[in-house]
Amino acid sequence: MTEKYYKSMDDLIYDARKASSEPEAGDRKSILQMKQESKSDNSSRRDFLKLFGFTVASAAIAASCKMPVKKAIPFLIQPENIIPGEASYFASTFFDGIDYSSILVKVRDGRPIKIEGNTLSPVTFGGTNARTQASVLGLYDNKRHKNPSFEGKEITWEEADGKILPLLDSIKIRGGKVVILSSTIISPSTKSAIQEFIAAYPGAEHIQYDVLSASGILKANEKTFGQAFIPSYNFGNAELIVSFDADFLGTWLSPVEYTKQYMKNRRLTDGQKTMSRLIYFEGGMSLTGSNADERYQIRPSHEKIIIADLYNELKRLNGQQTATVPASPVDVKSVAAGLFDKKGKSLVVSGSNDVETQLLVNAINELLGNYGSSIYTDVHLKLRQGNDDDMERLVNEMESGKVEGLILYDVNPAYDYPQAEKFVKALKNIQLKVSIPILAEETSEHVHYVCPDHHYLEAWNDAEIKSGSYSLAQPAIRPIFKTRAAQESLLKWAGNPIDFHTYIRNFWEKNIFPLSEGETSFENFWNSKLHDGVFVTGKKENKVPTYSGESAETVLAQITSRSGNDSIELSLYSNVSIGTGKHANNPWLQELPDPVTKICWDNYAAVSPKWAEEMGFEDAQLITINDFGPIPVVIQPGQEYKTISVALGYGRPNMGAPSETVGKNAFPLVQTKNGTKQYWLGDVKIEKVPGEYQLARTQTHHSMEGRSLIRETTLDQYLANPASGNEMREELKKHLKSLYEQKKFDGFHWGMAIDLNSCTGCNACVVSCSAENNVPVVGREQVIKAREMHWIRIDRYYKGDPNNPEVVRQPVMCQHCDNAPCENVCPVAATTHSNEGVNQMAYNRCIGTRYCNNNCPYKVRRFNFYDYTGADALQGNKKDPTEMTTDLRRLVLNPDVTVRAKGVIEKCSFCMQRIQEKKLTAKNENRQLKDGELVPACAQACPADAIVFGDLNNKESRISKFFADERNYHLLEELHTLPSVGYLTRVKNKSI
Amino acid sequence: MSKSILLHYFPMRLKTFISLVLLSFFLCSGISLTADSSQDDSEEFVEDHSHADIQRGERFFKGFLPITRDFESCVSCHNIYKSDTLNWNPSAMDIAVKFAGKDFSEFQSAVMEPDGVKMEASHKDFKIEEVDLKKVKLYLDDLALTGPSPTGPTITQIMLFILLGLLITFALLDLIFFHKIRYRVVSVLILVVALGFQVKMVATAAIDLGRSQNYEPDQPIKFSHKIHAGQNKIDCKYCHFTVENSKSAGIPPMDLCLNCHTLVREGTRSGKFEIAKVIEANEKQMPVEWIRVHSLPDHVFFSHAQHVNAGKLDCIECHGDVIEMDVIRQVQDLSMGWCIDCHRTKEVQFANNNFYESYEKLHEQIKSGKINKVTVDMIGGTDCMKCHY
Repeated sequence: MTEKYYKSMDDLIYDARKASSEPEAGDRKSILQMKQESKSDNSSRRDFLKLFGFTVASAAIAASCKMPVKKAIPFLIQPENIIPGEASYFASTFFDGIDYSSILVKVRDGRPIKIEGNTLSPVTFGGTNARTQASVLGLYDNKRHKNPSFEGKEITWEEADGKILPLLDSIKIRGGKVVILSSTIISPSTKSAIQEFIAAYPGAEHIQYDVLSASGILKANEKTFGQAFIPSYNFGNAELIVSFDADFLGTWLSPVEYTKQYMKNRRLTDGQKTMSRLIYFEGGMSLTGSNADERYQIRPSHEKIIIADLYNELKRLNGQQTATVPASPVDVKSVAAGLFDKKGKSLVVSGSNDVETQLLVNAINELLGNYGSSIYTDVHLKLRQGNDDDMERLVNEMESGKVEGLILYDVNPAYDYPQAEKFVKALKNIQLKVSIPILAEETSEHVHYVCPDHHYLEAWNDAEIKSGSYSLAQPAIRPIFKTRAAQESLLKWAGNPIDFHTYIRNFWEKNIFPLSEGETSFENFWNSKLHDGVFVTGKKENKVPTYSGESAETVLAQITSRSGNDSIELSLYSNVSIGTGKHANNPWLQELPDPVTKICWDNYAAVSPKWAEEMGFEDAQLITINDFGPIPVVIQPGQEYKTISVALGYGRPNMGAPSETVGKNAFPLVQTKNGTKQYWLGDVKIEKVPGEYQLARTQTHHSMEGRSLIRETTLDQYLANPASGNEMREELKKHLKSLYEQKKFDGFHWGMAIDLNSCTGCNACVVSCSAENNVPVVGREQVIKAREMHWIRIDRYYKGDPNNPEVVRQPVMCQHCDNAPCENVCPVAATTHSNEGVNQMAYNRCIGTRYCNNNCPYKVRRFNFYDYTGADALQGNKKDPTEMTTDLRRLVLNPDVTVRAKGVIEKCSFCMQRIQEKKLTAKNENRQLKDGELVPACAQACPADAIVFGDLNNKESRISKFFADERNYHLLEELHTLPSVGYLTRVKNKSI
Repeated sequence: MSKSILLHYFPMRLKTFISLVLLSFFLCSGISLTADSSQDDSEEFVEDHSHADIQRGERFFKGFLPITRDFESCVSCHNIYKSDTLNWNPSAMDIAVKFAGKDFSEFQSAVMEPDGVKMEASHKDFKIEEVDLKKVKLYLDDLALTGPSPTGPTITQIMLFILLGLLITFALLDLIFFHKIRYRVVSVLILVVALGFQVKMVATAAIDLGRSQNYEPDQPIKFSHKIHAGQNKIDCKYCHFTVENSKSAGIPPMDLCLNCHTLVREGTRSGKFEIAKVIEANEKQMPVEWIRVHSLPDHVFFSHAQHVNAGKLDCIECHGDVIEMDVIRQVQDLSMGWCIDCHRTKEVQFANNNFYESYEKLHEQIKSGKINKVTVDMIGGTDCMKCHY
């Protein structure tokens, strides 16, 4: 490896210092800090003695106590298909207004405990993302509204209806206007319920409001196709993808679907020899950008000009008349040539919410003939239907007193509307304010009536994600609190007191059953669709709109000069964990490290290394941006010079942590320009603020000291030599010798392979693993002390110029070495090797010496410094920064995995509980295990299918084929640890 | 020689020693005695009836009143509380709970106009004045309210432990400071023996911690496995029907009992009282809260399906001779050692289950005659993560 990889700027500076034999000041400082922190913790030797005494005393008391009497309470009438101790799976749909996934809900003894992807779905194909995985914890949220209330006081549903109905009636008599404000609704039956409400109250209006708006696309399509819609994209059909800050693998529109499509065309396994190519333009470093084959750094304000230039260049190549356009700051000639070469097999997308930009993108795609091959205008994506104009109009109407009744359904504008103050003030003019929240939110504080909706796991629902692609959601648990389905509330107020289950059935019988073919009765149809969770009609939108390019030409003609490079520009983005902040009270998401910066529990201002040097910024320096802040600076390789990136969705008071605000709310910085919300702004003023703010970052620990961990190559080199980039493996193999005989495993030898070419670093696996294995949440303060507990982490390395680096990623979990260094050093044999090649960990045997942790070259073992889950008998051991030890939160724990107490080591077990379960199923069915039957939680969640698990002894298995692939290598294989986890080299499709 | 010296010197030392030990013993027991007596002082009134009425009722129940009687007292058939010995008749506590919310006439008719073969026979010659029976009801109501009186902890073990501790202390003190016992070896001997005994006590207690071999609690219903599984030959899997498919064998749901007990309403020994509980539970929609007997710690993952279905074990092998048990008892200690012992000796269904085809090498060894059977440990049955994950 001649190329240099580094994990952070610190790393780079550290290495530079080491080279110049300068004292390692940086490191010493952090150790000193730690010591000071531990002093301020007030834990001393005396405390230890006190605790020790207490422990002995309590042990003595415990010893003299009798065994607690346990009860065994049977069912009264046992439901036929529920077996105590075994999990049932129910097909359902996750949709929170932003993300969509078709899912299976794992229910153990009446409690939903895990979300899995539904492989039958023709949209998400069994993929999930981090937020879908984490959504199950939202069900057990202490801050959910637990009952209907009036101005904060608990009331009954009868009282609520009794008061709301006459008020609605009086508005109706007066001829006043009632508005239902909701996020995008993709449920056909909910839409029908809303229509019933509108019919009952003439003059009522339904307005959809999207926090992450796609108005730009809607309006542009209205201009070019005469219809406001979002088309269906297929990234798998494109051989060349050019994306202008459309983070389609992370947060743009339907990322799970796009990841599935994109990766299908990127895999070099199973004999595939071609790969699509991704060119990415952006200012900050996004998830998709960091995965791009070629990445251009641009200022947000330049995006439109570059797209115009690209369009102009393409026109020139196409022999059309060109316009005069200001010169692009980056040379787009090669990109244009590439695109032109792949006419009809390419795709250009932009994440911008600017109508003109989207018009140009439409024009480019039309020119390239991509409509019909990678973009479908006859299949609409039903997400993000909110029009920014409508919301603005509503707020103005509220201010002028035109709106008399407002029903807020699953929206939180008091937090996420850019002019939240204006909205809250306008709310005061309204006579009847009702909110129907699902999760905890702020807007309910400003309304009269709160009529809480069920959590999606408690409710019936349906969805039409794309034209003709339906899915159903069914309750997996009885409502925990006194909530009522939102649709039921709306229908009741519309004078139709029907339960929503009946309503949705009737709706399907009337509207969707006729679309099916070959079904004998509705009963059969309903049962089979409920079982599958999905239903596809294949029906497309009626009229196929034709393209008209006039508006794009006008835009092109009007493009004027670009702004200079001197002003500072700020871009606002949503990340893969917190997103819009809707799930801010979900500790799993708060503790999820950002895929790029590896920071959790906060947002921050990312700045470029070059600019930081000029300004004298260091990590953790506090700054203000206009009136926003103070917010800590993070020096981010790959950030464009003189631009700042800040994540949205933070700064919700008391969310995430019980009495803390996590991060700063950047929504007030979002501005509306030309009728659409703009997620960037130019000419910002920044100011240094004295003081520092330490961020919780998981990247500075687990440093691998610059060894050759990630091996990569380019497509051309790979095609010439499949082992390229991995040449050292054969060389290393020659030197691997041992005094001891290599272990042979009769029966099974479990192994895992990770295709680095597929992994995007989306973090779905991390949350899935946490949910499956009861991995504790430790909180911000503990993460700073490098005590995070995730069993699987995704390492991220930069390569090349810090101001425009390449990024590579690598998921790392326990490598289950057959020559495991951890096993030899355990004084109590708590970690041993199983006869199936798994490195096993017996928590109850562990005494917490942490020798194994020290001896593990991969640093994948985690130590419970405290009791984070309430497993410990001793109250003093507990550390609960996120209320995860409360009874309600603990309902999410998987009863098949031990909940670890303080003082023991834990780590990835290859999901042993799943292995045991499937083995037993095979035994009971008197058959051998099938390849692909065993799927660990991480592999199940992966939308990119980057993780393969199976039996290495079975030569026909997929895992054996992966291990035999010339791209396969092992982490630190020179140590002869013989890991059971293999990695396939990363292949970039770039010209050298 | 040493014997005479011991005789000569020991009595004097011993006297002081024993007096000290006794003193401390009385001190301790004195404290516990005063603690006990203080609990009885509180006078309670149940509605309008005085403590005296309740006491009178208690005397009637226990047979002290009426002074002359030619029938058996209540207590001769009905225990006050559940006891170690199996008594098929409901205890006073049981009856108290059943009639707690009901008025006197119902109680009277239950006692005086017995229903069912068993009760008719035993209540045949029962004569008691209505006033007195009312007192008995009062006593029972009070019992239902106050519950069983607290039973003192068994202090013998703790006292013995303290006694040994004192012995050690004295022996140590003598060794270091007093030197009253001429031969050090005596002190050392006392020290070693006492300490050894203490360690053994602690070790035994510690090993037993969390284990409950021979646990045989009284259940809320006097359900007899001996009658159901033994005499009536009902298959275990008829009631514990998830045993082949689930980790848990399952406690039968209440409506399963009714499969038979809609017809069988009276037992030969318990009469109608116990079976009535099952019927009542179904009517009231309140499942019976059984006391769990076999319980493994949370960090052990045991699957009945694995052992019964795949492993073809008989229930008896772990649960003992259940068909001979009136009250279910934990026969094995369910310790890890016990599990492992079985895993080392038990033969796997190797030839009969296609699942084991994957173990090619073991199959070869069987074919070549190297081994004649495959035990659980040979396919990883003693690995930690077979049961702990």
